[in-house]
Amino acid sequence: MSGSLITTKLFVPKLRAGIVDRGRLNERLQRGAAAKLTLVSAPAGFGKTTAVVAWLQSRPLGRVTAWLSLDETDNQPAIFWAHVLAALQDAVVRIGAPPLDIPGPGEQLDDAVPGAIVNTLAGLPQSLELVFDDYHVIDQPAVHAGVAALLEHLPPNVHIVMTTRADPPLPLARLRAQGELVEVRAADLRFTSDEIAAYLNGAMGLGLSAKDIAALGQQTEGWIAAVQLAALSIEGQEDVAGFIAKFAGNNRFVLDYLVEEVLQRQPQSVRAFLLDTCFLDRLSGPLCDAVTVGSGSRQTLEELYRANLFLVPLDDRREWYRYHHLFADVLETQLDAAARDRVRLLRRRASDWYEASGQRAEAIRYALAGEDLERAAELIELAVPQMLLTRQETTLRDWSRALPAELVRARPVLGIGLASALASSGELDGLTERLSDVECGLGMIEAAGGTPPNGIVVVDTTQLARAPAQVALYRAALGQAKGDLTASIAHARRVIELAPPGDELSRAAASSLIGIALWTEGHLEEAYAAWRKGWDGLMRAGHVADALGVSVALGDIDLTLGRLLQAGHVFERALQVSDEKGQPVLRGTADMHTGLAMVLRERNDVAAARLHLDVSAKLGDVAGLPQHPYRWRVADALLRHDEGDPDGARAAIEDALRVYVADFFPKVRPVAATRARLLIAQGRLDEAASWQRESGVGLDDQLSYQREYEHITLGRLRVAESAKRAGKTDASTLRFLDRLLLAAHRGGRNGSVIELSVLGALARRHDGMNAALGHLERALSLAGPEGYVRTFVSEGAPMKALLELAAKRNVFRDYASLLLGKFGPRQPKPPTHADLIEPLSERELDVLRLLGSDLGGPEIARELAISENTMRTHTKNIYEKLVVNSRRAAVSRAEELHLLTRPKL
Amino acid sequence: MSNPPANPPDRPERQTYEIRLRGHLDPRWATRLAVPNLTHESDGTTTLRAAGVDQAALHGLLQRVRDLGIALVSVIRVPSASDAPSNTDPTSQRNLK
Repeated sequence: MSGSLITTKLFVPKLRAGIVDRGRLNERLQRGAAAKLTLVSAPAGFGKTTAVVAWLQSRPLGRVTAWLSLDETDNQPAIFWAHVLAALQDAVVRIGAPPLDIPGPGEQLDDAVPGAIVNTLAGLPQSLELVFDDYHVIDQPAVHAGVAALLEHLPPNVHIVMTTRADPPLPLARLRAQGELVEVRAADLRFTSDEIAAYLNGAMGLGLSAKDIAALGQQTEGWIAAVQLAALSIEGQEDVAGFIAKFAGNNRFVLDYLVEEVLQRQPQSVRAFLLDTCFLDRLSGPLCDAVTVGSGSRQTLEELYRANLFLVPLDDRREWYRYHHLFADVLETQLDAAARDRVRLLRRRASDWYEASGQRAEAIRYALAGEDLERAAELIELAVPQMLLTRQETTLRDWSRALPAELVRARPVLGIGLASALASSGELDGLTERLSDVECGLGMIEAAGGTPPNGIVVVDTTQLARAPAQVALYRAALGQAKGDLTASIAHARRVIELAPPGDELSRAAASSLIGIALWTEGHLEEAYAAWRKGWDGLMRAGHVADALGVSVALGDIDLTLGRLLQAGHVFERALQVSDEKGQPVLRGTADMHTGLAMVLRERNDVAAARLHLDVSAKLGDVAGLPQHPYRWRVADALLRHDEGDPDGARAAIEDALRVYVADFFPKVRPVAATRARLLIAQGRLDEAASWQRESGVGLDDQLSYQREYEHITLGRLRVAESAKRAGKTDASTLRFLDRLLLAAHRGGRNGSVIELSVLGALARRHDGMNAALGHLERALSLAGPEGYVRTFVSEGAPMKALLELAAKRNVFRDYASLLLGKFGPRQPKPPTHADLIEPLSERELDVLRLLGSDLGGPEIARELAISENTMRTHTKNIYEKLVVNSRRAAVSRAEELHLLTRPKL
Repeated sequence: MSNPPANPPDRPERQTYEIRLRGHLDPRWATRLAVPNLTHESDGTTTLRAAGVDQAALHGLLQRVRDLGIALVSVIRVPSASDAPSNTDPTSQRNLK
């Protein structure tokens, strides 16, 4: 929907003059303001919106209201939340506050938006009303789920009001029980006799008798839509009593009766205008002129508004209006068969007007409604790129359902666009057939020498060149979804061949698909190469956030391949790229900090690792990819373990299990196995053993890369169990470890080889030191150049003894000595890390930045307008937090940690 | 919205329902509500008969009724000839009474 229409949706309706004061409703609604949700639930025409507006206006000035009038286009998360954000921004800007810092739905997952809204609104200094008008149009479970989440975590300064014709599927019973729901229902909204009298005799000045009022009240049952129509019919009526008697003695549906009455009382030109425009969702002068092929519609609209003919203004400029929905509905039934044919024509005119005024989505809606399917297909084809970019797949899918299959079949570019919409919303059924249809169409174009032959239509020729590669790309994605990796790779390779120059995105997507497939099959080097191509392509296309996602894969593979240095480079480079992008922080940045934290931890730089995890946490879920919540918790758990907080470590890993979500990456390091490793390291072998039963791994399993991590975990468990019994490691375990080592070696997975060699050395130390040393030597040779520390140090005393022996026998003596220096006396650590390592304050960061300059201490203090004493305190704190003891060390540490280049958090 | 097929129910998900609404609706509503016809009852209600519709179509119809603010009096499934007396479907049992 284009800009001008959005503003009409955010417009807080104004009351007409002569609205009856309904103090009882205001009181009820005011009580609701203290609860989370006020539900105004009643059938059409009960004055729900008016009641809410009247209450809002009755309150003291300075209250903030964010208003959103919903319609059927809001029935998908991307649009719904975009409009909610727009409504909030509009409200905040109206009171002169700075715009909210909420990334739009395009920049984050739809289900992350409610969380971002909660965080931002909680910081708002004043309270705010968020009104959803006509919430009954929403029927997408995904939207309801987001709204339920928003309600669940609603900050106390925010209150939601909903008007709806049907109770929404939200946890109303729970809210009611918590006293967080106030309801205004049909029984409350019905006009009492007194209110009807106040309206008809007061506001309308009709001077009706008490008997007439009572009769009207009885016939309309206080339904305000009917009362208003009755008032219009009575106005200027000579025989009021006669009219009321006739109305009251009638069985007809009151609206049928009254609308007919009202229409009959209008001049022919007004009646024709009403019938010709009642199908329009919104009306403006120019649009109505185009539809009626007339002029002066703007004035007609103003007249209708003044005559109280159910026209609702949608802005302050008297530009856009809509009919009251119920009135429009009843008007439409007044159309006879001939008129309905005419409406088809009128809809096409509306479609043309919208297309000419650049509002394509509306143009498509009216073309479809006007049954001009050829035209609709043409417009949809042109709309596809923009719709995909703004993630309106649901709308595209709905449109495509309205088009006959043969129409789409004749349009390969439209076909591939709709296939994209299906694929990106995860609907794979029928995708194969669609792709075949597209291929068939493309083949006919090719056979005809590049121009569409008779029967084939291409409107958007710019997309034609991309189409063949797109077909292959979706076939590759389909192959992957079905687990047919060979086919997936073959199709993806074709994408790279077929994509026209400049189509970096298709090629990068294909490379990533190849990367996933090869990684899943354990071809790590080849997978790595494919991912690198994906990274390069995404960077060239400027899709930096997606490139960060690729970095997660690169880092993971590097670690498996034993390339600790390279893994560090991957994350550092990604952070640099993210830094260059500046604000808002790119999604995936948090993942890079977490990845770097894991590398730093392996280097035994626990403090630096913690600093990065803190940065990552501060950036929040908004800056993280979908899997980040679990990755962060796994890193946190391992780090807590290192910091001497075993309980915290276990709590964190349980949390990680809870928030885990699967994605396309192979699940090579299941959280449950990491949990088992923590339990083993903490000596809780019984609990770890229950993991083995649940995961079903055994010593006789066939080995595969996919299960290697779990198998090594099993090896650890067996070795630990033997050690606990103070006995030798049993032969079957040793055989199992040997098999694993051989498999890892053959697969070139040096990370696994290092770990298995360390484990093998520990397992064999009772069998004689030579066997153990042989394993240790292999581990040291591979780990030394990469700077592994934690893998050795975390094994504690038995590994220390082995390393001492290695140093004595000149087996990688320097490296062994270096590692020995890292064991140290085990320091008693406080139970939580938070007291020990705090993130730097804003002020400390300022000081740190200047420490990197040539300025002396007193000059820095002057620069920051602080005393030298304060300056010294800051410096001392910085040294402590960074665990350094000189200015130079502090600066180089800060650079290492990217503390100075970080955008302000 | 699609018109429900007019053919009689031959599968369990296609049923005939009778919907009663308050007030006499203008016959023109039949087109808008996508039902073949409306019957005005002497008690001031209107009966719509939706034949061969599934649950989704029924809900669509009820939603259209809702959007007009017409009061719903009752919805009854009309047993078809193929409903054997031994039918174990509890709803049909109730409706047969």
